[in-house]
Amino acid sequence: MMFALPALVALPFFGGLAAWLSDLRGPARTPWLVSLVTLALQALLLVDLSATTFGPGWRAHFAAPWVSMLGIDIRFDMDGVSLVLLWLNLLIAIPTVLLCTRHVRDRPGLYQFLLLATIAGVNGVFLSTDMFLFFCFWELMLLPLFGVLLIWGHADRARVTLKFFLFTQGSGLLMLLSILALAVINAHDTGVLTFNYFVLAQVAGHSFLAPTIMLGFLIAFAVKMPMLPFHVWQPDTYAESPTAASVLLAGILSKTGAYGMIRFVAQMFPSATAQIAPLMIALGVIGILYCAWLAVAQDDVKRVIAYSSISHLGYIVLGVFSGTRVGTEGAVIQMVAHGLSTGALFIIAGFVEERTGTRDMRRLGGLWPAMPQFSAFAMFFTAASLGLPGIGNFVGEFMTLLGAWQISHVATFLAAFGAVLSSVYALTMMKRIFYGPAVIEGSQPLGAPSTPHLAVLGVATVLLLVLGFYPQPVLDLSTPGSLHPQSLSLAEEPAR
Amino acid sequence: MMSFSFLPNAVLVLCVGALVQMLGVAIGRNVARDAVIGLLVLVASLVAVSMPTVLYMAGSVALFAPDVWASYSAVLIILSAIAIHIMSWRNAVVSDATVGSEYYLLLTLATLGGVSMTGAVHDVSFFLGLETLSLPLLGLIAFRNGRIDAGEAAMKYIVLSGVASAMLLFGFALTYLETGSLRFIAPNTGDMPEPLLATMGTVLVLSGMFFKLSAVPFHLWLADVLEGTSIPVAALVAVLSKIALFAAMVRYFASVNLYMSGPATNEVIAVAILSMVGGNLLALVQTDLRRMLAGSSIAHIGYLLVAFLSPGPLSFASSAFYLAAYSVSTLGIFALMAGIMPQGTDIRDWHGMFRRRPMAAAAMSIMLLSLAGIPPAVGFFAKFYIAAAGMAGGRLGLLLILVMSSVIGLYYYLRVIRIMLMPAPVERPEREVTSPWFGNGALIAVLACVTLLFGVFPGTLVDLGRNLIVMPSPPPGSSGQP
Repeated sequence: MMFALPALVALPFFGGLAAWLSDLRGPARTPWLVSLVTLALQALLLVDLSATTFGPGWRAHFAAPWVSMLGIDIRFDMDGVSLVLLWLNLLIAIPTVLLCTRHVRDRPGLYQFLLLATIAGVNGVFLSTDMFLFFCFWELMLLPLFGVLLIWGHADRARVTLKFFLFTQGSGLLMLLSILALAVINAHDTGVLTFNYFVLAQVAGHSFLAPTIMLGFLIAFAVKMPMLPFHVWQPDTYAESPTAASVLLAGILSKTGAYGMIRFVAQMFPSATAQIAPLMIALGVIGILYCAWLAVAQDDVKRVIAYSSISHLGYIVLGVFSGTRVGTEGAVIQMVAHGLSTGALFIIAGFVEERTGTRDMRRLGGLWPAMPQFSAFAMFFTAASLGLPGIGNFVGEFMTLLGAWQISHVATFLAAFGAVLSSVYALTMMKRIFYGPAVIEGSQPLGAPSTPHLAVLGVATVLLLVLGFYPQPVLDLSTPGSLHPQSLSLAEEPAR
Repeated sequence: MMSFSFLPNAVLVLCVGALVQMLGVAIGRNVARDAVIGLLVLVASLVAVSMPTVLYMAGSVALFAPDVWASYSAVLIILSAIAIHIMSWRNAVVSDATVGSEYYLLLTLATLGGVSMTGAVHDVSFFLGLETLSLPLLGLIAFRNGRIDAGEAAMKYIVLSGVASAMLLFGFALTYLETGSLRFIAPNTGDMPEPLLATMGTVLVLSGMFFKLSAVPFHLWLADVLEGTSIPVAALVAVLSKIALFAAMVRYFASVNLYMSGPATNEVIAVAILSMVGGNLLALVQTDLRRMLAGSSIAHIGYLLVAFLSPGPLSFASSAFYLAAYSVSTLGIFALMAGIMPQGTDIRDWHGMFRRRPMAAAAMSIMLLSLAGIPPAVGFFAKFYIAAAGMAGGRLGLLLILVMSSVIGLYYYLRVIRIMLMPAPVERPEREVTSPWFGNGALIAVLACVTLLFGVFPGTLVDLGRNLIVMPSPPPGSSGQP
């Protein structure tokens, strides 16, 4: 079991490499099969990990020296939040691989490799507890996506991809400065240079520079998520990405930002977080309302989903910065629910675009008779996204609002109003695409969706309903592992 | 094996080697033979560096200090020279049988100059090394004698290089006037009768060095020179001479407390900021790959200066690491250009390279990522190391500028990768790509592997740099008179 955590990172990467190499010769379907097998193995690994580790707090640990001169280790720790997000990552990864055969005829092996490398990087982000290693994965997971966007993206991809990359990498460098500041302060105090998360977290709690250092982390995560003033890269990028990349970006990469806020902001800098919480909650509320308002005005399907995505991520900010337990747990639920529902919506949008040739809602309409199954699914996920009770998103939004209520009644009131706006844009989107008279010429059916499509959406539906009616298993997991020295029996064993 | 001489081993070997090459040219011309001799001389000097030297002191003045810092930078210089040697072979200019032999001779001489500078602890030995590097470089830059832009580049280089040398000499003269010493070390201005003169001396020496390093605002010649000359020589200017000068500069400032704000420190800070911002802005607008690399090289000098300005345990180790990372990646790009498309240095010529030459494009991307500082390439760790040194030295302002200018840098490095990924616009004819000869292909492969391996496992190189934590030593009898 010792190597389960590094295996979670290595497996997708090498599986992707194998898929790429298998593409060089042999039938065109091999890379696809190889990556599916890789994901299946990853699922087995996760099942095993979930079954054999117990309890709250830290459930699994791995450490090995890397650059011992500078106190850098390869160090993975897994707590409940990590486990939940690893599962989410896998769930998001499966459809991107499963459904790609149709769009990607050009170099499918490379495509699989880049997707799986992204997934490996994201796994690394969710597991690393060495700050340098975390930063490595943070930067590394973007690189393959850069390739996916550039090679398989839509018309305006060149400009948009660079914008995306510059925003995320630039903010990442600020985080690097913060990490280094922590390491240097620690080295100054104790004489030991280390990038161990648990050690640096102790420093972060005490240092009088904590608010400044925290800002570096906060900006990096806020850009990645994205949060309101840092969101300008996001709608363009989501719109110009190929479907799989949109699903990955919205489904899981935005969650790395949210994860970072829980683990590296709220947990590491509790007092500084409390200081900045009013500002963050205000930004979260403004983000919820403003981006919902923008979503109402969009004509491009993917842009509606993109803006709605920022709006819903505002609830996560609310939950995390409420500083309450219920808020944090709600944020985790919201992450999972939002990942599933937005991913599904992007799959549907991609399908519509593929069959009709446009994402422009002015040129769409009356698709329900042409694609009844898909329209039904679209209705469900729209309902999920507008927060219908009984679906996971409702639980997440309700709990984050519950957390925020203890901080500010006004903010909670305004944030709740976002749900009204989200009904407006979500239902408008449904109406413009699926209802009304058919706009596309000829009433021929647009082709039945393939079985994998239906299976993927079906599974997402079931999971969202389970999350809506019985969220307790996820709630049990979603308390982050404690940083207290005495509870670090797993994490404290020396690396060398 | 111990050896006793009054020159470091590598310098001795290179001197003898240069003589042998001259003899070879005098006896009869044969480019292939001379190229092989040149390579052998370089390899022999590499072996010689690793041997411990006990310097025989002629008189009371030490000329060279064979310390770890000198050996490390000498190894880097010689390895770069070998790489440049390999990528020069079969280059259209060098293969010209009438002049090819001299090319390798000049390359050896330039290496000799660089290696002597790394160990120099006396104004004279430093200056001789510098001129031994600069003058062959002039010949190499003008080597494409049929081309008008080669002549232009050479003229620009010789005039500005002459100005820089004059400034250096004036600086040395002022220092000598004040201290009565020709030791290659910045004078301690505090206890001088005329602190102003000593300060002026230091600032002049510094400016002369910045001229040769092409740091902003002394950078104007670099882009033209790189554009005008052949690709291997451009690599020589961008890599080899910069390593040598940076190594010498570190030694010159071993005596100065760079935390103390003073004229010299302030100048270095200003130049570091200007180089980081200016170099990246210069590279941003270029359409020629060589001019872009000129800007990038200026910016990297700026990053190096940040480490240089942060004295502490990490300072030398991180600059040593960064020098290696920078050299590997930059040499790799030049080797690729020389091998794949010696005539096509316009960035647009690289459209669709991932389809036409996937391996070459992949190698190029690795090098560019390394320069941009993105994992898993070695440049990422190097930048991290520099930032760690800067943070340990409390240079937060400089680091913020480093971050900002790195973002600019990301844009133009990634633009090249983007161009290689995207198909060419239809109206533009595709330029023909050539296959690199076997040695150059191997060189590119080795450099790409090194970039990745040291990126993933930087431990070995870090351990190597640990020895450099000790400052470069001042010469024995450091308190004495000349």
